[in-house]
Amino acid sequence: MKKEIIVSRGLCKEYRRGSERVHALKNADFSVGEGEFVSIVGPSGSGKSTLLQLLGLLETPTAGSINIGGTEAGRLTERDLVKLRRNNIGFVFQQFLLLPTLSVRENIELPLLFNRKNVKPEKIAEIIEMLGLSHREKHLPHQLSGGEMQRVSIGRALVNEPKILMADEPTGNLDSATAEKIFELFKKLNAAGLSLIVVTHNMDLASLSHRVIKLKDGEISAG
Amino acid sequence: MRRRVRTSLTIAGVAIAIAVLFSLLAFNAGYEKQLSGELGSMGINMLAVPKGCPYEAASLIIHGGVIPKYLSYDDLEQVKNIDGVEIASPMLLHQFFKDDKPHIVYGINIEDQKLLKPWWKVEGRYFTEDEAGVMVVGRSLAEKENLKVGQVLQFGPDGVPTTIVGILERTGTQDDEFHFLPLADSQKIFGKEGQITTIAVKVKDVSQIAAIGKKMEQIPDIQVVTMTQIQGTIMNLVGSAQTLLFSVIIIALFISAVGIINTLIMSVNERTREFGMMKAVGASGWDVSRLIVVETLILTLIGCAAGLIIAMAGSKLVESFVRGVIPYAPAGNLIVVEPWLVFACIGFALVIGLLCSIYPAIKTARLTPMEAMRSDLE
Repeated sequence: MKKEIIVSRGLCKEYRRGSERVHALKNADFSVGEGEFVSIVGPSGSGKSTLLQLLGLLETPTAGSINIGGTEAGRLTERDLVKLRRNNIGFVFQQFLLLPTLSVRENIELPLLFNRKNVKPEKIAEIIEMLGLSHREKHLPHQLSGGEMQRVSIGRALVNEPKILMADEPTGNLDSATAEKIFELFKKLNAAGLSLIVVTHNMDLASLSHRVIKLKDGEISAG
Repeated sequence: MRRRVRTSLTIAGVAIAIAVLFSLLAFNAGYEKQLSGELGSMGINMLAVPKGCPYEAASLIIHGGVIPKYLSYDDLEQVKNIDGVEIASPMLLHQFFKDDKPHIVYGINIEDQKLLKPWWKVEGRYFTEDEAGVMVVGRSLAEKENLKVGQVLQFGPDGVPTTIVGILERTGTQDDEFHFLPLADSQKIFGKEGQITTIAVKVKDVSQIAAIGKKMEQIPDIQVVTMTQIQGTIMNLVGSAQTLLFSVIIIALFISAVGIINTLIMSVNERTREFGMMKAVGASGWDVSRLIVVETLILTLIGCAAGLIIAMAGSKLVESFVRGVIPYAPAGNLIVVEPWLVFACIGFALVIGLLCSIYPAIKTARLTPMEAMRSDLE
């Protein structure tokens, strides 16, 4: 097996809903190797998005540990956690979450503002071209189709050159033909060496990945 | 679209609050400045008025109020003989109505007035002390009544033909509204021979005003009113109206500030999901806080600039409204724009901006990216 880029041990997440405690994720042991493409599947409420959010350092676990590229995330200060997330992880959301007042290009460039990195026009142009959005560069999100918006969201996730791309139901809002194209794009990125963890409901698409992790009632049942 | 409407409403709210605040401060500064200027432009240090004349009435003399008591030439002589008095100038005031509008007539000693008001300039000429049937009028009065040098008016209760020999150049004071006649002629026209309404006094050394005032009050018929007392009396007269006006405005300002804070906090809350996304793509809590504070400050400063423009453009309207509600308003601009007023308004806008942004900024900075994204959905 290739070197592990992300490892979780005993990962738990509990939420409070009024007086009730909800165990969204129970004791999840999980790892992804460098250059691996992993799908996480399971019914609604099984905890797959929670697992992805914890791995992506977007949420704090109730218990357990996450190690990314040899760094133990639980021991980091907020500042170092931001750096770890920024330098290693790109995140793609189901609802795209693009800024409506920014153009395609500006949305893709956004993470660089927070990274204090100079925008390299040729690099942005390369990403835009790879995503097939050259003709849409100056368009605003409301002028794009769902598939195009998701591609912009992928471009935004890639601009910091992460080691792992995480996507939460990236095709959930897209028709099947567009969804297939997005997965083809993921395969292309994976072939270029990027590790991918994708949460999906779509078993056909999940079957395109190297490994499928199944979750049920907050527990990993297979994979 | 919803955000655009909210942003516009926020800017409008700040603009209105700033316009009101600026007008309030500018009026407050302008009123006292114009009043002091007007009293200073009288060129005198105190007035001698008939004993028993209340301060309020004495104060009204300076803008043409008529009091039904008189001093005599004997009183004038006694004032002139007091050590330290440089000029003691007798004046007779009379008021008459034409087309239901009050007209003020000043019977004056022109040579004294030239010394007291060296800035007076006249189109045409001044009259001499022993002339009769002549007068000089203020510029605003001449414009309103379309009066010209050489024109003859039927003047006084008996319609005495009186020629306008001069029109004063604009002074920016109440003098612009008055008729000036030789003292003796005015006494004759209005049947007040030998009677004086007030004696305007200028002293040689201003540090001696109190001492000279005391000596003047030893004259049995005379009561002394200094310019400081007059200013105080007028400020008291307008004080209650001003207090009422200020109270209403301050309450309006407070309500408006609460409204602005509410709108701004709402607009930040509305974007919490967006801030969560920014954190997910690499922004730190500090980045997001800074963004919230800077955006809010930009919004309030745009509102502030719009408010200042509105206030300056509408200053004439505010002035005419204020003139309608307060009992005495000096001539000249009541709304005075000074740099500190602009800075005070910018300061107010910045405080509002900071008040509105610090809480949501800290709150959002502390949320994990997912908490921020969820909070918007809840």
